[in-house]
Amino acid sequence: MELKKTGMAGTLESSDILVVIEPKNSEGIDILLESVVIKQFGDQIRKIISNTLRELGINQVIVRANDKGALDCVIKARVQAAVSRATGSKECFWRVVES
Amino acid sequence: MEFYHFVEQTIQLDNREERARVEHFLANHSLRLEADVDYSIAIYRQGMVVATGSLAGNVLKCIAVDPEYEGRGIAGRVVSRLVAEAYSRGLLHLFIYTKPENAGKFSQLGFYKIIEVPAGVVLMENRPDGITAYLKQLKKYKRSANMVASIVVNCNPFTKGHQYLIEKAARACELLHLFVVWEDRSVFPPEVRYQLVKDGIKHLPNVEVHKGKDYIISNVTFPTYFIKSPDEAVKTQSLLDIKIFAKFIAPALGIKRRYVGTEPDCPVTGRYNQTMKTVLPGYGIEVIELPRLSIKGVVVSASQVRKHLRQKELHLVKELVPEITYNFLRSKDADSILEKIGNEAGGGLIGAKKNRNGRHT
Repeated sequence: MELKKTGMAGTLESSDILVVIEPKNSEGIDILLESVVIKQFGDQIRKIISNTLRELGINQVIVRANDKGALDCVIKARVQAAVSRATGSKECFWRVVES
Repeated sequence: MEFYHFVEQTIQLDNREERARVEHFLANHSLRLEADVDYSIAIYRQGMVVATGSLAGNVLKCIAVDPEYEGRGIAGRVVSRLVAEAYSRGLLHLFIYTKPENAGKFSQLGFYKIIEVPAGVVLMENRPDGITAYLKQLKKYKRSANMVASIVVNCNPFTKGHQYLIEKAARACELLHLFVVWEDRSVFPPEVRYQLVKDGIKHLPNVEVHKGKDYIISNVTFPTYFIKSPDEAVKTQSLLDIKIFAKFIAPALGIKRRYVGTEPDCPVTGRYNQTMKTVLPGYGIEVIELPRLSIKGVVVSASQVRKHLRQKELHLVKELVPEITYNFLRSKDADSILEKIGNEAGGGLIGAKKNRNGRHT
């Protein structure tokens, strides 16, 4: 999928994550992460973000994320929502993220 | 911790009662609802305001939380809402003014410090590389020269007065970096102002024209310039704008001198020039005030030109502007601008409300 513009999803409230997705000129997924639990879960959060992006076929992207202790399923959902806004796609890829 | 039920609400800024409630709350926290605000929200508990925040273009401001309810993530909620609204308006690069003691709070909400001024104000932006990216772009134009100078112009529109100033400055230095104010709050849009200046100084090989963007006299660094309300804020904002210039922009380009036209009329610009003369020498930048061009005993100014345009006296404008501007004014492209000027009650810059099409009106 191609990113057309900047997309944002999420909030800065506790247990949520604010994800901003921007198109990038070159190949690669750049993640700028801030998290209240970066020491414990930083790597895990990055992994979820990049896996979710890869699943959606996005590999030229800058991600700015500000995490307030979101669960994995929330991170995944927020990334998906930001991508759908950034691609302007009407296609719905909503499903149960994790049960 | 007790559980409270908070209700979040967009403020109808033209509803006097709602507005007054927010103004009252802000006043209790030594803040006021500034004139250029175009979107406000409040968080209520049992009908009482416990927090509020506003947007003025891409600047978050007038944010306050009742200390009694601090530590419940309310500030985060306010900022989230404002950021989401700004994004939905297509504004991605956001700024915030705050007191130094609150800077830490906002850095947790994704804002990064740009600069602090002694008056107790910190300016922050929502991307870690905001100003560095702008400087990197500028540095491409860095050239070594004996005297690198700079001048900042709005050119609303480009007059013979501007041309005269730029020519004089360009002759007195080896390289002149000219910044065109980029904020779209003047009658003439930035692209038009930029193009007219660029074409109007083509004969000067040592002038480099730049777009001022957010960091030079913008809605971000100097909102009162556009509201033209001379109050204490002018002092702080002048200082902030000039410090950004001195600390970041001037070193990026090796600027050692800044030219400015004398300002007999406008108190805001006058104040700005005064601050420049006090602050810049401390950073090794010389400030040179050039007398402005007079034609038939009258100082040429863009506001004079706009006044003539408002009264449909194009023949009088002809004397005051270079050919390039005159030709533009007579072209079809200028129709909508002239119409806008015709509708104006007076004053050169249009208020925030007119062209910031917020959702509230």
